[in-house]
Amino acid sequence: MTNQLEAAVLIAVLFGSGIFLCLSRRMLSMLFGFLMLSNAANLVLIAISGDPTGKRAATVVEGAADGRAPVDPLPQALILTAIVIGFAVAAYLTVLIYRLYTDRGTANVTTLFDAKAEPVAGKEDLS
Amino acid sequence: MKFFETMDNLVALPVIFPAVAALFCLLAPRPTVWRRVLSVLAMGGLLAHALWTVCHVMAEGPMVLRLGGWLAPYGIVLVTDTLAGIMLALSSFTALACALFGFAEEQTADEHPLRLPLLLFLLCGINLTFVTGDLFNLFVAFEVMLLASYGLMTLESGARESRQALPYLTLNLAGSALFLAVCGHTYSLFGTLNFGEIIGRADLLAGDYRLTLLAVLMLLVFGLKAGVFPLYHWLPGSYSVMPAPMAAFYAGMLTKVGVYVLIRIFGTVLPPSMTDLHTLIAWTAGLTMVIGVLGAVGQGRVQTILSYHIVSQIGFMVLAIGLFTPFAIAAAIFYIIHHIIVKSALFLVGGSVARLNGTDDLSRTGGLWRAAPWLGIAFVLQAMSLAGLPPLSGFWGKFMIIQEGLTQGEWVLVACSLVASALTLLSMLKIWLGAFWKDAPVDRPPVVSGGSRRMSVVVVGMACVSLVIGFGAETFVRVAKHAADETLDRAGYAANVRAANDTVYPAKTPGAPKP
Repeated sequence: MTNQLEAAVLIAVLFGSGIFLCLSRRMLSMLFGFLMLSNAANLVLIAISGDPTGKRAATVVEGAADGRAPVDPLPQALILTAIVIGFAVAAYLTVLIYRLYTDRGTANVTTLFDAKAEPVAGKEDLS
Repeated sequence: MKFFETMDNLVALPVIFPAVAALFCLLAPRPTVWRRVLSVLAMGGLLAHALWTVCHVMAEGPMVLRLGGWLAPYGIVLVTDTLAGIMLALSSFTALACALFGFAEEQTADEHPLRLPLLLFLLCGINLTFVTGDLFNLFVAFEVMLLASYGLMTLESGARESRQALPYLTLNLAGSALFLAVCGHTYSLFGTLNFGEIIGRADLLAGDYRLTLLAVLMLLVFGLKAGVFPLYHWLPGSYSVMPAPMAAFYAGMLTKVGVYVLIRIFGTVLPPSMTDLHTLIAWTAGLTMVIGVLGAVGQGRVQTILSYHIVSQIGFMVLAIGLFTPFAIAAAIFYIIHHIIVKSALFLVGGSVARLNGTDDLSRTGGLWRAAPWLGIAFVLQAMSLAGLPPLSGFWGKFMIIQEGLTQGEWVLVACSLVASALTLLSMLKIWLGAFWKDAPVDRPPVVSGGSRRMSVVVVGMACVSLVIGFGAETFVRVAKHAADETLDRAGYAANVRAANDTVYPAKTPGAPKP
């Protein structure tokens, strides 16, 4: 892992655009923002499969028969877990956004938290 | 040898047991009595196991389990030391109390069919956070906990409250992505994710800017979970809209998970030489205390006032972590013990107020001192304890923290904590006057029923436990000190994890019994 500039740039772009989309007022943009954020984090995990000082990671078997060293399996195991978890959370977020849309009739955060657009008065505080 | 292996396997019990109980609960599609009995038995069993663990670990030293038999730095290890044992006991006790309160509040048939299973899954995630000895496993534990908590938060909310889940979800999702990146950074720095292994390798990197960056990122991730000053925005809105027993469990446990992980990471895993960072933690904590309590003063509903107080109280615990001496960490641990029980009990009082008055809006409540005197007594005891009046449990926690602050000459931070305590008393007084002392509103007198009496019994029971902590403070402080010494003994932690390698692959001697 001597030169990882392209991975660094890609991660920065993904994190940046993910955060930009998350700050959007439209919930659908937020959803896409989170998908990008979790993919950016997964890319970080790919980029680290090796030691930055040039030493091999602990579990790598040295010198395979055809001269190619096998890669460190641990980051791949981490990514696999992270993808599964990210998928579950994205599914939940989708359902929540749909529920908010059916509950409040809006998919925009500004109108969602707008005090003037309260539903029926008198129903409040019965929680 | 066989005997010791069985003992170490018990480390995984607090994680497996709630998950299995939750699955059994899911077998019944509708809420039934046997489901309630099963959940109570599971939580009671966990509590008994956790108390046994604390005693056992204090006498014999930490227990380590290597999952799947992998050698220690390569596989995942579960470690139970005194601090983890204390937290396990607190989580199962709070879950038990909140579940019982929920049973008192609602008939079996009215209960939401998914509430108990989700609560048990939440408990499973929380317990895994306490016992894990691996950074990525900690991430997984957080996700198990968060997924269950997302579900539980929106499960019973109406059209008006469901939107409050959005800030909670978004901030935690951002936190999770950051945590994943932190895991990657850690692995690239140390080549391992095992806490015991990181300890030795982090010492070699002490003073390196990459280690500082990692520590700052971890502070950001776990500070978000704990609800520390700039990152607390998600907390007050989301806790105050849930049903009372669930809100009480969240209020008691979830932010404290963040505090526990801060103690574990900064106390055990990272080298103690990062004094600049500890100062940063202490000052954020000071701001958290004051800003949280100022937020509470302006609120008009019981549950919202109490939610802002969580933020303020988190400040005290995190301040103790920032002071970073064995005595300060012991103070933080004692404060956690005190706070979890008192805060959950106060949220349950808030739930009882809402049940008796039909609302917890303080402008429309009143007359509860006459209608439910025992609830009033329990509230006064807990509120005074939260504000820190002697001889209740909160006093000892604050006393230890302020004493340590004075020893270190942090006058401004001590002043912050005293101001926060005074303002806490003020807003507790507001609840007392609004809900208990004031006459009942003419059109809506409080309705006392069998359900509300049973709810009061649970609250009074929790108040008794908190009184025991206050009057038996010496014992609890001794346990907290032991836990703090063990947490700060980094070499001991690493050695324990290493020593676990000997238990499953015993030295091959002829004639030795097979494990």
